[in-house]
Formats: sequence, C-alpha cells, structure tokens
Amino acid sequence: MKTVKGVVLMRKFLVTILTIFAIVGIFAAGGKLVIAMETEPVGLDPHLVTAFASHRILENVYDSLLKYGEGMKLVPNLAEEAQAVDPYTIVFKIREGVKFHDGTPLTIEDVLFSFQRILNPDTKSPAAAFYQDVESIKAIGDNKIEFKLKKPMASALLPNFAGVNSSIVSKKFVESAKNMQLETNGTGPFYLAEYVPGNYITLKKNPYYYVKDQPYVDEIKIVFMPEEVSRVAALKNGDVDIAKINEPLNLKQFPEGKFKVYRSPVLSYYLIGINTTRKPLNDPRVRNALNYAINREAIIKAVAFSEGVVTGPLNPAVQPWALQPKAFDEYTYNPAKAKELLAQAGYPNGFEFEIVTSQRYNFDKVAQVIQAQLAEVGVKVKINLVEWGIFIKRWRESDFDAFISMNSGSIEPDIQFYRTFHTGGSTNVFLYSNPRVDELLDLGRSEVDISKRKAIYDELQRLLVKESPIIFLYSANQIFVSNASVEGFKLLANESLVFLRETYKK
Amino acid sequence: MSFGYLIRRVITSIPTILFVAFLVFIVMHLVPGDVVDMMLGTQNYLTQEQIQELYRQYGLDKPLIVQFGIWLKNLAALDFGTSLRTGKKVIDLIFDRFPVTLELSVLSMFFATIIGIPLGITAAIKRNSFLDGLVRVIGLIGLSSPSFWVGAILIVIFAGLFEEFNIFGYVPLKENFLKNLQVMFLPSLTLGLMLSAQIMRMTRSSMLDVLQQEYIKTAKAKGVSYSKVIGKHALKNALIPIITLSGIQLGYLLAGTIVIENMFALPGLGRLLLQAVNERDYPVIQFVVMFIAFLIVALNIIVDFIYTFVDPRVELR
Repeated sequence: MKTVKGVVLMRKFLVTILTIFAIVGIFAAGGKLVIAMETEPVGLDPHLVTAFASHRILENVYDSLLKYGEGMKLVPNLAEEAQAVDPYTIVFKIREGVKFHDGTPLTIEDVLFSFQRILNPDTKSPAAAFYQDVESIKAIGDNKIEFKLKKPMASALLPNFAGVNSSIVSKKFVESAKNMQLETNGTGPFYLAEYVPGNYITLKKNPYYYVKDQPYVDEIKIVFMPEEVSRVAALKNGDVDIAKINEPLNLKQFPEGKFKVYRSPVLSYYLIGINTTRKPLNDPRVRNALNYAINREAIIKAVAFSEGVVTGPLNPAVQPWALQPKAFDEYTYNPAKAKELLAQAGYPNGFEFEIVTSQRYNFDKVAQVIQAQLAEVGVKVKINLVEWGIFIKRWRESDFDAFISMNSGSIEPDIQFYRTFHTGGSTNVFLYSNPRVDELLDLGRSEVDISKRKAIYDELQRLLVKESPIIFLYSANQIFVSNASVEGFKLLANESLVFLRETYKK
Repeated sequence: MSFGYLIRRVITSIPTILFVAFLVFIVMHLVPGDVVDMMLGTQNYLTQEQIQELYRQYGLDKPLIVQFGIWLKNLAALDFGTSLRTGKKVIDLIFDRFPVTLELSVLSMFFATIIGIPLGITAAIKRNSFLDGLVRVIGLIGLSSPSFWVGAILIVIFAGLFEEFNIFGYVPLKENFLKNLQVMFLPSLTLGLMLSAQIMRMTRSSMLDVLQQEYIKTAKAKGVSYSKVIGKHALKNALIPIITLSGIQLGYLLAGTIVIENMFALPGLGRLLLQAVNERDYPVIQFVVMFIAFLIVALNIIVDFIYTFVDPRVELR
C-alpha cells in the first residue's frame, strides 16, 4: 500500500520545526540575576499592600526608617539613629544625602508626610493599627523626627518602623496624583524598571542608593512561576539563577557542587485555631488533651520531610523571647494523659469536631496527620476543605470549631500576641478572653526593663499553652536553591529578600 | 451565505453573552468571601467603619441587581471597569493577556491537527491493522491523561535532554520571534498532543464513513490515483465534523488554559482569570468571562461560515 503524501510532508515539516526550535535554544540568559517566585505582587503602594509577594518586591524598592539585618537585628536604615529617649518618646535622626529614584532629595517633610499618610483613616493602611497609640509626630530641626506615645511602649513599637508598610514615600510624588498601586518612587537599592503582570518584574540598580557600593548587580528579574515543577526545571535548565522551593523532596534534584541550597527557620507558624466558645472545645482541659494527643515531630516528618521545628507560642529558633517547646509538658506527646484529661472533662469516649482548612501550604496534609493522631485518643475529626476565600470569610466570622492555618509571627512578642489574644483583639477570632492574659499583654507592651519584660512574656507563654486557644504546631523552613555561581544570597526569618542587594554572580 | 444571516446571528448572540455576564455576576457575588475579605486575609487590620467605607467605595454595599445595572450602564458607555486590586484598567489587562492565549491556542490547534489528522487518516485506511490498534490506544491515552501530568513529563524530558532549550521566560512575539516560539513550543505541544487524540478519533471514524460510500468505489473504479481518492474525494467530505470539533476545541483553548498557563508561567487570559477569581476581583472576572463568551459565540459563527466553503451544499439562510 502507498503512503499518503500528506503524511510524509507533515513529517518533514515537523522535523524542520523541531530543528528550528533546537537551533534557537542556543540563545542563553545574560549576566543579570533571575529569580523564580511562586506568587506575584498584588498592588505596589507600600502603605497599602498586604500580599506577601508585594512586600518582597517593595522592600527592595522602598526604605523604611529601620530595617532588619542578619539574625533579624534591627539596624538603622533611612534613620541614621533611633533612640527611645524614654518609654513615651522615640527620636529618629534622618540620614542626609539620600535621594529618591527620581533624583529628588529626601527631606524631613517626606518622612512626616509618610506617617501622616499612614495614619490618615482614608488611606486605610494596615500600618495605621501599629501606630494607633502615637500621640503626636513632629519634626525637630531639619533632620530629626519625634514620636510621642500615649502609652509607654517605645521599644515594643520600634520593629514596626522596619516594615514595608512604614516605608518613606516622596510627598511630591504622592501629591502629583500618581496611582501608587501602579507606580513606585522609593529610596531603596533598586528601582522598579518594568512590571509585566503574569510574567515578571525587573528591578534595576538605583544609582543614587545611599550605600555606595550596593546593590552588587545591575538588574534583577523576578519571574512568577506558580508551579513548583516549573521552578525546579527552570533552575536546573539555567533559565533562572535562584528559585523558591516548597517541597523538600525536590531538593534531591539539585546535586551539591552544581547548586546551593539555602534554608532558614521562619517566624510564621502552623497552628490549630480553636473557637473557645463552642462546646466541648470551650473547656481548656479538652483543648489541652488535644495538645497531648498531637505528635508534632511526626507532623514535621510526614508533611515537611523534617524541614521544620516544633514551635511554642514563640519560635525558639528565631525569637529571643521564646521558651523552649520542651519546657511545656503539654507539648510532649502523651496519648494516655490526653485520655485522662478527656475523661476528667466528661468525654471518656472522645468527641467529634470539625476542622476547617484550605488546600494551600500543605494545610490539608497537616489536617490529615492530625486527624489520624486524634483518632488514637478517640477524638473524631471531620476535615472540611474549603476554598481560600470561603476560609477567610469563616475565619473572620469565627464560624468554625477549629481551623488549620498559618500565622505570620514577629520578633517582637507584643506585635505577635497583642491583637491575637487580647480580649476583642482584631485577629482574636478564637473569641478568647482571659483577664490575666489581657493584663500581661498590657504590662508587656509598656515594660522597659528587659528582665521584667522577659518574666511577663514567660508567664504569658505558659498561660497560652495551658489554655491553648491556639495549638501551636511547627514552623517550616523556607528553602531556596541557586546555581553555584550565585554569591551573597541570604535568607531572613521574616522571609524577606533584602539581601538581594548583596547578591551577585561569580 | 448572506449578509442578512450574519446580522441575524450577531443580534441573536447578544442576549447569550449578556446572560453569561449576568450568571457570572450572580455566582461570583454569591460565593462566600469577597474582595475585601481577600484583601484583609487573616490580618484584619481595619476597623469596622473602615471596612464598611471600603465596601461603599467599591460600590459593593448596593443590592446585587443595582450593581449589575451599574455595570451594564458602564459597559454601554464603553467603560469596562478597573481592577479593584491592582488599579489597572480591565481592558488593558485583556489587551496584555489575550495575545498570549491566542498564540497558544493557534499553535496548539496547529500541533493537534498536524498530529491528529494524518494519524486518523492512516488508521482509517489501515483499518483493523496493528497500526490502527496502536493509534487508537495512543489516542485513548491522550484522551485520558490530565494536562498537568503530560506537561510535567514534557518539562522533565526537555529540561533533561536539551539544556540549552528555553522552556520558561515568556517574551512577546514581536519582541523576540525565535525565543517566543521556543517558549511556546512545549505548552502548545502539551495541549496539541491532548487535543490531537480527539481529532484523530474523529478523523478516523469520519473517514471510515466516507470510504464506504459508493462514490469512492466509483472514483477508484475509474482509475483515480489512490492518494487523490483519499486526499480529494474522501478527506474533503470527512472534514465537516472535524472542523466542528476543532472549532469547539479552539473555543475551549481561547477560554484560557488555566492549568497549562500556570505550569509554563505564561501570562495569558486563563492565568489572569484564575488570579482574579482568587482575589475576587469582580470587574476583572466579569469582563474576562464576557470576553470569552463573545469569542466562543464569534467562533461558532465563523465555523458555520467555513462549512459553506468546504461543502457547497451547506447554505446559510
């Protein structure tokens, strides 16, 4: 039988196309740094953004008065000096000779304007909540700015000045009616040269940056690749230099010598949040029984392939205020004790409750492991997997028995605890209320003496574990991989990428 | 084919598109979690008054039907809305994203047809042979494999075999033609492979039908060469169902291939829509879906017109 001519033609055609594609392959990447991230920013106004992906970009474009250095130490940034003169007063001395990306010099006016903009209720800045106890802000001379506080909380307030939401913006730029969600003009090491939504962001070296030799590279391209398999392939293939890796299993694909692996503990933590007003979980003994029945190490092994640490109310790997999880009896796996507590509370045969969670960051897998662990002490868990939007709605309305999620933490215990555990706090969706906890939170906020403050937060941590409105689980390592030519890349516990300014390729 | 027919089709399709828009509007607003929830996430930093103010600003405090009315009114004034989350004009977003999806769709259809049609013809000619069986089995595998799996396998194979091959890093066609083709190759091959299975099966069965017709025997009997019998007499008549199928498939492709665009990090319409749904960015969802409905309706009309070229007996009235 004869072959059909058309088929032969098509075959020739296909071969030709494949050849063309292969030849084109010789085009290789240039000398700039290319990073693959999973998510892209949602808006670019530093005072408004809440998306984590926006923060990671903007912290390289804008500067705040302070910043986090290695080991999450607060270091000067646009403020040359920061001084808590007394518990009610903070004075910043503004750095001289700093210029915005458009070439205009930074003045005390810009700094004042930035905080006025944050505090203006019309702006709806998330940072406004941090500064609600600020009484007044005024300039002293032409290079100092003074914050007067209503409560003696100067040192607890300081870390807020390092956040992206407290960035210093140009008064002239904002007032010229630009849309700050679309355009940027900061003082940071890079300026935003191009943003192609759904594709990439290009950051270019700011020639005016106040640190003379930084940044080390001329250009950083951040490409958005939502799928892990793509990020892994792009890194192996040389399409990108650095990639965020979420699944520790994928690390096996990166042989040592050809690639470098970066991992660090983080402040954010996995938790079971409990509605403390619903039976039977309104009984602290019942909540504590769950504490004993949960084997945290097993969760880390099963879900995070051992890339994580058990955490208490504060993560001991990154927070100097933290008590070791081992210091809490409740955090030692002890199913017999769990059963005993359940019996005391009147549930010798266990009970049933629902965990609401969503299919992101492995929440669903954590829920499954916990379901299996609790079954061993007779507690039946119904897992309700919902879409993230539905999750948030239920979270906000405290419409749950319990949920599994992740909270962002802080190196400042006041920031991490206050609105989460204070009666009526804005993120206290657990509807938790304990007068002693409220008292400790208020004391800790204003205590200046370090050792007294430590004692306050020690008691608070113990109380929070004993009462367990939240069951703290673990903190997963953040992991990045780069090819071997990348130097100077470092991670921080708040998952920021400020060290990109010191990163370069050999 | 008449001009009057075209006008009639266009006019009757307007209610369809508006109905789709209405449906999407209602469904998106009934789903729990709105744009403000997504913005606040689990941070909840605003006071209750500020949250209410935000709803007012976005016009979300009004009854649903009023909101839809406002949207229609703006649409009539050619104001297609602004993204609530990014502040960008929706129409600009579509102009940015649609070319990517269009190119991906056309390239995928290209791969699907150059793989599917010849294989289908071959299988029909050599009916019940080993080759036919093989093609059918491969077709079945193609039909039942999910795109994320095929895509992942292709990525792994290509990343391993051709280190110099750019799999990722989309650049527009007009910026760098060759690099663009290179980046589009794998995603369109993935989609093309999967679609080719359907086209192959349709071609095969359609060809089998035609090959049994009397006029084919006549053609053979009067000594027409074999390739001419297949290529001219049989294939042309077998094409109608294939065109219908391809039209429908192209419609699906243009609706944005969410999975493939995500996997290959392509800034297309599907990814825009997915992100908008995740953020509950109503104006974006609303217009993107309407735009897709418009495309599918338009495509259907075009397919009807193509019939008249392929088969002169078809007349559109």
